[in-house]
Amino acid sequence: MASRTVAKDIITLRGSAAIVSEFFGYAANSILYNRGVYPEESFAKVKKYGLPMLLTQDEGVKSFISNLTAQLSEWLEAGKLQRVVMVIMSKAANEVLERWNFSIETDSDVVEKGVSREKSDREIMREIQAIMRQIASSITYLPCLDEPCVFDVLAYTDTDVPVPFTWIESDPKLIANPQMVKLHSFDTKIHKVDTLVSYKNDEWDEQ
Amino acid sequence: MKCKKGDRFLPNRCLMDLDKAHTLLTSKTPQFNTSSNFNQAYRQKLIENLSLDSQGRPFKIMVFRGSPKSSRKSIRFVDELRQEVAAIFEKDCKQTPYRCIPKGEKRVLDAPRLRNDYYSNIMSWGINNILAVALGPELYLWNSEDQAVHKLLQVRGGNDWPTSVTWSEDASTLAVGYMCSNLQLWDVESSKLIRSLQGHSGRIASTAWNGHILTSGSRDKSIINHDVRAANSLASCIKRHADEVCGLKWSTEGNRLASGGNENLLYIWEASKMSSSKFLHRLSDHCAAVKALAWCPYQNNVLASGGGLSDGCIKIWNTEKGICINNIETKAQICGLEWNRHHKEILSGHGYSIRENQNKLCLWRYPSMTKVGELGNHKSRIINLCQSPDGITVISAGADETLRFWDVFGPPTAGAGNSMVSDLQGLLSFRTSLLR
Repeated sequence: MASRTVAKDIITLRGSAAIVSEFFGYAANSILYNRGVYPEESFAKVKKYGLPMLLTQDEGVKSFISNLTAQLSEWLEAGKLQRVVMVIMSKAANEVLERWNFSIETDSDVVEKGVSREKSDREIMREIQAIMRQIASSITYLPCLDEPCVFDVLAYTDTDVPVPFTWIESDPKLIANPQMVKLHSFDTKIHKVDTLVSYKNDEWDEQ
Repeated sequence: MKCKKGDRFLPNRCLMDLDKAHTLLTSKTPQFNTSSNFNQAYRQKLIENLSLDSQGRPFKIMVFRGSPKSSRKSIRFVDELRQEVAAIFEKDCKQTPYRCIPKGEKRVLDAPRLRNDYYSNIMSWGINNILAVALGPELYLWNSEDQAVHKLLQVRGGNDWPTSVTWSEDASTLAVGYMCSNLQLWDVESSKLIRSLQGHSGRIASTAWNGHILTSGSRDKSIINHDVRAANSLASCIKRHADEVCGLKWSTEGNRLASGGNENLLYIWEASKMSSSKFLHRLSDHCAAVKALAWCPYQNNVLASGGGLSDGCIKIWNTEKGICINNIETKAQICGLEWNRHHKEILSGHGYSIRENQNKLCLWRYPSMTKVGELGNHKSRIINLCQSPDGITVISAGADETLRFWDVFGPPTAGAGNSMVSDLQGLLSFRTSLLR
C-alpha cells in the first residue's frame, strides 16, 4: 500500500512575507479597478489565485505598487509591519472616502528564532481567493465614487523603524463616523492578515 | 494549616522600581511644570507619534511617496510644503509673546470725494514717506513726516479721474493711471509731468513697478509693460485676461508678476517670458474678481490672493508649482492684502459681506492662518490698503471718505526692514534644492 504523501508545504518567514506583499499588490490593483480609481481600459487580466485578476498597465502606477510592495516585504520579514492601509480620496477636496485596512499579526517566534511553519499553499490560496472575491463584490454596498479619486498607501510600523527615502510620516487619514465592513482574513501561520473596509456614509443613507 | 486567601496586601517587590520611587520621594528638585509650553501643533505630533494601537503596541504611520505619478505630484509637494511650513511655524511659536493689536486708529484723515469704486487703487506710500492719494479728480500728496498736504494735480472736465496710483520703488516717479486710459509719470519734487504713456483703450485699474518697468492693467483686458527709459516705451503687451485686470503685483525679486482679473482668474507670469504672452500658471480657484494680491516677504514665490464678494477667500499659493497651499474663507469681499514684515502675519481689508468681517481689517497668523484679531471703525466698505515704508503702519481707505492709520504691524523686530529673518533664509534655501 503506497502511503499518500500529504502536501504539507513549509513556509519560511521570507516566503510568507512574499505571499503577503504579493497579496497586497493584487488587492491594491483590484481595489483600484473595482472602485474606478483608474479607467477599466488601463487594466489587463491575469490568472492568479485561481481567479482572473486585473492588473494595471499604467507604468506609473505599476512601478508605484511594485516599489511599495518591495518595501512591505522587507518590513514583513523583519516583523515590523503592523498594518497597511489603502486610502481613497477625492481628487478635488482631498477628502478621505474609503479606507481599506489590512492588519497584520506576525508570529514573533518565527521572526526571532527563524523557525518555519507548515501550511498548504493551496489552503492559503483559497483563503486569499475568498478575500479577492469579497473585494470584487464590495461594489454592491460601497457608495458610488462619482468624482475623480486618488489613492494613498499608509504603513503602520513599529516605532523603531526608520522612515525610508520614499516614505514620509503621515497622519492616519481617518474617516469621521465611518461605516465598516469586515472581510475575510488569511493566515500563512507566520503572518495573519485581516481585512476591513471603512467608508464614508453615503448621503442617501438613513441616519 | 489552611492556606488563607490573602487578606493582607503584600506588594510584589520585583514589580517596583525602588530606585525611581526613592528618587521621586526624596528629591529636592521643584515640582515639574505640567502645563505645556508647546503649542497645539507640536502636542498633536507628539500624541500621534506616541500612539498605541488597540493591542497596546506603539506604532508610527508613514505614507508612500515613491515613484512620481503625474496626477499625484501636487499632493506630494503640498505634504512637503505643509510640513516645512509647520516646522518653521513651530520654531517661531516658542518665541512669540502675547500679541497686542491696537484698539483704535492712530490717525484719521478726511478724504472727501474718495471714489467708492472697488476696482481702483488710489493710494500709494513711497519710501520717501509721502503718501499719494487720489480723491475724485484731484491727487494729493501727504508727507508723513510733517503732515504737510500738497495738491499735485487736478483733472478738469468731470469725466476723467485717477484710477491707479503707484510710486516707483525709489519714489523718484509717481505713476498715475486714469479713467480715460491715459498713464502719466510725474516728478514730485518739481511737481511736473514727465511723460504720458499710451497703449490702453480702457481705464487703468492697476499699476506696478519693477525697476524701470511700469506694468499697467486695464479694463481693456490687456497688461502692458512699459520701459520708462526708452523713447518707445511699449516693451510688451499681454492679452490673456478675459476682463478688466484689477490686480497687479511684481514679486519682491522682480522675477514674477501676478495679475488678477475681473473674470476671477489669477495669472502668474515670468519676467523673462513676457513678450511671448506665455503664462507660468493660470489659477482659476477664485469665484470672484481677484484684486488683492501680495507677495510674501519671507518666503520666495509665495503669493496671497483675495477674492471679491462672491468668493471672500484668501488663498496662499506656491507660485513655483502653481498650487494653492492654503485657503481661508473670510466670507467678505477682499479689497487688499498686506504682509507684516516684522511678524509672520498677513492683514486683509474687507468691503461688503452678508455675514462677518464687513468693513473690517483682519489680521491672520502665517502660516497657520488663524485669526489673530480684527480692527476697523470704517462706517462703510474699505476700498484700498497700503503700508508704510517702515512696515509698521497700515492705512485703510474707506468709502466713508476717511483714511485711517493703524499701527498694527509693530513692534518692529531687531534688524528688520527689508532683510528677512536669517535662520528662515537658511531653512528656505534647503527647500529650493529638490533632493528628492
